[in-house]
Amino acid sequence: MRLPAVEVKELYFRYDKEYVLEKITATIWDKEYIAIIGPNGGGKSTFVRLLLGLLQPTKGKISVYGRPPLEARRLVGYLPQNVNFNLDIPLLAREVILQGRLESGKYRFGSEDMKLLYQIAKELNIENLLDRKISDLSGGERQRVLLARALITKPKLLILDEPTASVDIASQKRIYQILKTLSMTKIVISHDINILLEGVDRVFYLNRKLFIHENIQFDIQNKEGHFCEMELFEELRRRCDG
Amino acid sequence: MGEMIQLFGHSFIAAALLSLAIGVVGSLMLVNRYNYLAASIAHGSYGGVGMAIYLGSSILLGATLFAVALALLLAYMTYHRHRHLDIFIGVLWAVGMSVGIIFTDLTPGYTTDLMSYLFGDILMIPSSDLWYMAVVDLLAISFVALFYHQLLAIAYDKEFALTRGLPVASLHTTTLVLIALTVVMSIRSIGLILVIALFSIPPYIAERFAKNFFGMMVLSIPIAFGIIVAGLMIAYYLDISATAAIILLAALCFVLTFFKDPR
Repeated sequence: MRLPAVEVKELYFRYDKEYVLEKITATIWDKEYIAIIGPNGGGKSTFVRLLLGLLQPTKGKISVYGRPPLEARRLVGYLPQNVNFNLDIPLLAREVILQGRLESGKYRFGSEDMKLLYQIAKELNIENLLDRKISDLSGGERQRVLLARALITKPKLLILDEPTASVDIASQKRIYQILKTLSMTKIVISHDINILLEGVDRVFYLNRKLFIHENIQFDIQNKEGHFCEMELFEELRRRCDG
Repeated sequence: MGEMIQLFGHSFIAAALLSLAIGVVGSLMLVNRYNYLAASIAHGSYGGVGMAIYLGSSILLGATLFAVALALLLAYMTYHRHRHLDIFIGVLWAVGMSVGIIFTDLTPGYTTDLMSYLFGDILMIPSSDLWYMAVVDLLAISFVALFYHQLLAIAYDKEFALTRGLPVASLHTTTLVLIALTVVMSIRSIGLILVIALFSIPPYIAERFAKNFFGMMVLSIPIAFGIIVAGLMIAYYLDISATAAIILLAALCFVLTFFKDPR
C-alpha cells in the first residue's frame, strides 16, 4: 500500500483579500518526485511555505506524513530560494551545513552531527568545500552546500525552491543528477522546465489553482525527443484554467 | 607618558570594555544589518536621558529603560509591520531626541552641556559606568556564547531557521535589547551620535580578514581597542576632542580597508 507523504485537502490561502491558492486538493506519495511549475505569482512558493508550516492555511487542511506541518519539521529538509541568503556574514561551508542539525533547545554540535557532516559531504562530493567561506563559493557550489544542509537532517521529504536558479548549466545538470539518486520524497519548485526531463513522476502546474499532470514522461517520449517547453507550458496553463 | 597614563587611567579600562562590546555586539549588528535599527535606538535613547534629568534620577537608568523600550518596540515592528518600517524607525529616532530636548528644556536651572551626551567624552568616565559596562559585556558574551550557532543560522537564512523551529523572534528581540544596553553603556564615552560608527567600523575591517564569525568578533576587539587608544593619544598630543579623533581615525581605517578590497 502506498503511504501518503503529503495530503492537501480543500486548501485556500490569501494574504490580503484575493486568494493566492484556491481549492487545492492533492496527495503526494512517499518517495514520489514532484515538480511544481507555473507562472510567477502563481502560488508555488506560498504552497511550499504552507507545507513547511511557515504559513497557516486560510481554509483547508495539510498533513505531512500524517502530522500537521509544524509537528513534521524533523521529517522535512528544505532548500530555500537563493535570494534569501545573507552573504555579508563570514561563514564556512561546514558551519552552514551543520545549521541543518539545529533545532530549538540545541546549542552545540556533537560527534553524531560531525559524523553526519562528513558523510553527507562525501556523498555530495563537497569535502573540498567544507573549509571555504560560503560567500567565496560559486553559485553551483553554494547550492550543493545548501543541499547538504537540507539532507543532513536525514529527511523523509525534501523540498527545494528553485535549486537551479542562478547556477550554470553544468551545475544544473549536477544538481539534477544528485536529486535523481536521492530516494526520499522530493518536491522541487522550478522555473527551469528542463527538470521535467529529469525523471520526475508528476508535474503540479500551479496558477492559483492546481492542475496535476500525471503522464509527463509519456508525453515527453511521444514528442520523440522534440521537447518544446513553451508548448507544454501553454498546454498545462490551458488545462489548469479550464 | 606617566602623566598621560595617569590622565587616561579610567579611559583605558573603558576602552577595553567598549572594545569587547564592539567585537561582540558590533559584529552581531553588522551581520544582521541592524545598523539603522541600532542608530534609531541610539538617537532615540536621548529621550531617556532628558526624562532622567527632568526627574532628577540616574541618567544611566533613565537611558537604559528608554532604550530597552525602544528596542522592544522596534523588535515588535520588524516582525509585525514590514511595510514602511524604515519610516517608523526614522520617526522613533526623531521622537526620542525631541522628547529628550523638551524634558531638558523643562528642567529648571539645568546647565549641563548636552553635547557631552551626544558626543561623549571617554576621559570623563566615572567608575560607576565602568561597572555598568562590565555587566553589559558579560551579558553580551554569555548571550552570544550560548546562542552562537542559532544566531548565525538566523542571520544567514531566517526562513530556514524558522523551518528548524529556532526561536527567531525572541533571539531577534534579545539582540536588539543587547544593542540598546551597549548603546547606553557608550553614551558617556563616545556619545549617542557617534556610537554606531564606532560599533560598525572595527567589525567591518575584521570581516575582511576573518574566516568565520568567531574570528570576526575576536579580531574586532583589538582593532577597536587600537583605534580608541590611538585616537586618545592623537587627541592628547594635538589637544583636540578625543571622541572626534577616535571616530576620524576609525573612518580613515574604514576607507583604507574599503580601497584595499572594495566589495
